Amino acid sequence: MKKTRITLIVLFTLCALALIIFSLSVKDSLPGLLDRMDAEQTATQDDKMLKARDRVLESIREGDRSKILRNLERYTSGWADRLDLNGEIGLELFFFRNGPSLTALGLFLLAAAVAMALSVLDRKGRFRKAAPPLMLIAAVYTGVYILENVVGSDSMLMTVLEKGAIFALIAVSMNLLNGFTGLFSLGQAGFMLIGAYTYAIFTIETGTRPQVYQYYAGGLVQFTLPALVSIGLAGLAAAFFAFLIGLPVLRLKSDYLAIATLGFAEIIRAVFQYDGLGPITNGSNLLRKFATYDTVLFPFVIAGVCIALIALIINSTYGRSFKAIRDDEIAAEAMGINLFRHKQMAFVISSFFAGIGGALLAMYQTTVQAAAFTSAMTYEILLIVVIGGMGSVTGSVIASFLFVAASEWWLRFLDNEQMIGSFQVPLLRSGFRMVVFSVVIMAVVLFYRKGIMGDRELSIKRLTSRLSLRKGGLKNG
Amino acid sequence: MAEHVLELKHITMQFGGVVAVDDLSMHIDQGEIVALIGPNGAGKTTAFNCVTGVYTPTSGQVLYHGRLIVSNRPEGRMKTLYAGSQKDHPAEVVVNTPDRITKLGLARTFQNIRLFKTQTVFENVLIATHLHRTSNLLTATLRLNWREEREMREEVLNLLEVVGLKDARDELATSLPYGKQRRLEIARALATRPKLLLLDEPAAGMNPQETDSLALFIKQIKDRFALTVFLIEHHMDLVMDISDRIYVIDFGRLIAHGAPHEVQDDPDVINAYLGVDEE
Repeated sequence: MKKTRITLIVLFTLCALALIIFSLSVKDSLPGLLDRMDAEQTATQDDKMLKARDRVLESIREGDRSKILRNLERYTSGWADRLDLNGEIGLELFFFRNGPSLTALGLFLLAAAVAMALSVLDRKGRFRKAAPPLMLIAAVYTGVYILENVVGSDSMLMTVLEKGAIFALIAVSMNLLNGFTGLFSLGQAGFMLIGAYTYAIFTIETGTRPQVYQYYAGGLVQFTLPALVSIGLAGLAAAFFAFLIGLPVLRLKSDYLAIATLGFAEIIRAVFQYDGLGPITNGSNLLRKFATYDTVLFPFVIAGVCIALIALIINSTYGRSFKAIRDDEIAAEAMGINLFRHKQMAFVISSFFAGIGGALLAMYQTTVQAAAFTSAMTYEILLIVVIGGMGSVTGSVIASFLFVAASEWWLRFLDNEQMIGSFQVPLLRSGFRMVVFSVVIMAVVLFYRKGIMGDRELSIKRLTSRLSLRKGGLKNG
Repeated sequence: MAEHVLELKHITMQFGGVVAVDDLSMHIDQGEIVALIGPNGAGKTTAFNCVTGVYTPTSGQVLYHGRLIVSNRPEGRMKTLYAGSQKDHPAEVVVNTPDRITKLGLARTFQNIRLFKTQTVFENVLIATHLHRTSNLLTATLRLNWREEREMREEVLNLLEVVGLKDARDELATSLPYGKQRRLEIARALATRPKLLLLDEPAAGMNPQETDSLALFIKQIKDRFALTVFLIEHHMDLVMDISDRIYVIDFGRLIAHGAPHEVQDDPDVINAYLGVDEE
């Protein structure tokens, strides 16, 4: 057991080092690579080819990676018959093209090797327990980074991943309230709206404000804050509103609380479209031209950090008292838990992260309009929470990605008319996707009464033990 | 005069026109086991709830170690509706919620067991240590309170060992047999580090063997944690066995009070329990 581990560690380290060193060294030798590619200097005889080559060299001097890649692609594919692109040269080209991905992969392997080495050395076993989930998370992030480099950030897959990550954060924040504290609140869209608007208002470039606020003389706010600060502000603004709303509303129970919070969300939506607030909110017009992100990793990292924080809260002594309130309010109070304070805490925390989720959603959409934050949005998130399992963080995350992928991507084909030969497949037309989607959701809810995960968390240990059980069962059978 | 641990002064609890508890006065001293008994619907649990802050009495006061923790007088509509026999009302109004009462050192169990259903035995008790935290949300989230957290866990493990549930610590609370659920509820109450333990019908639904072991158990924890115990009970065997003093109420009114053997022979008590011959 130990021997195989050590071999694995050595193997991983070597692979990692090879990947990193090779992909980094290739980067600087591109001009030399171009020379070797064209050993017979055919380019000097062809003006067009020479120009294409010069363009590559020029973009190398400029240092814009995407431009280098574009020009290199044009050069190598345009004159493939005259260039030597096989063997070692081809390999180097591959490494140059996928440099960042391979470096990331190398770093991941290195981290895996280090983690394995530490697990072997770790006597107490605390690290050994924490290592697999951490490595899984690292693998997901490395995977997303490599995917983005391979398929490009405009692809459907990336769109689904972005939106999935954002919805995961919002769903987990809602789960904290509905699943862990047992407060049935339907105000999530309202808090997202506050977050989205706060973020957008503070990050629109000062120069473009007259354009955005064209009906309101350029608006009131005339400064721009950094994106990260604005995201924090978005959370704080939502939390502040939650604090105020919570004072009266949290004294209500179950259905009444749901109605009150739903009402709040609707009111907020109306207020933000109110003309009198136009200089700040731009009335019912779009907010646009604010800072957005340019890599999928951004929403992934922000959402990941926030979800990790929520998970830490849930497993702290405060999280335990939230769960106690959910299980039995009267007993919780008799154990010295101040019901109102703890409910308010859960409400404010949940809204804080919903606000951050709203800010990320604004970045994803690149425009914000209050009219879009309807109660239907809250229901979508509630659906994710229920499908994932009330009281399961990983359930919400998994359900979020599945939900977004199914609704935006996998079922798309149902919206297009399809012909098989001269036979037109019936029912397939615009809008049919949502019908099937609803049926799928009903089926899921019927077969997984408590959601995909119930109130348990995804655990690698349980997964592997189940797998090995199945294997053992097969052998015996 | 030695200070009473708990003192009820002229407690009256009226719901609408119904007087559930009428002018109940009693006291409990350090280290005693005192029982409150009475037929069904006599108002025992109502009196209990007035002490633990679930209800605010219509009139009367509760003192804990000489400190006023509950005090009220009829207000508003109750002024005209009031039908209790005690006509002098306290001047102060002091209202405490159950969580604050628990923080003062009075912990309770429930007649119909109220455990945290989705939590394990260990977590059920751990939750009850929450009120002694010194951490705030930030330090708890970032695990800067790990030392305190570790102490809490050790304390809970010790408690579980004392009540004999250490082996069942990772089981779901509701999967325990009935008698053990009772013990768990008591362990959970003990985790709030009480000085006065209030037990609401701890032997309800138990068979004779379980009741016997419960009596022993209550005495054990009383000595071990230097507790004073106030209990409501139907089970006469248990009450006669462990109580130092007994209060008997019927229709909300105190009808007898004294040592077990005195109460046992009291004609009023016999009448209340067996009914008076109507001839």
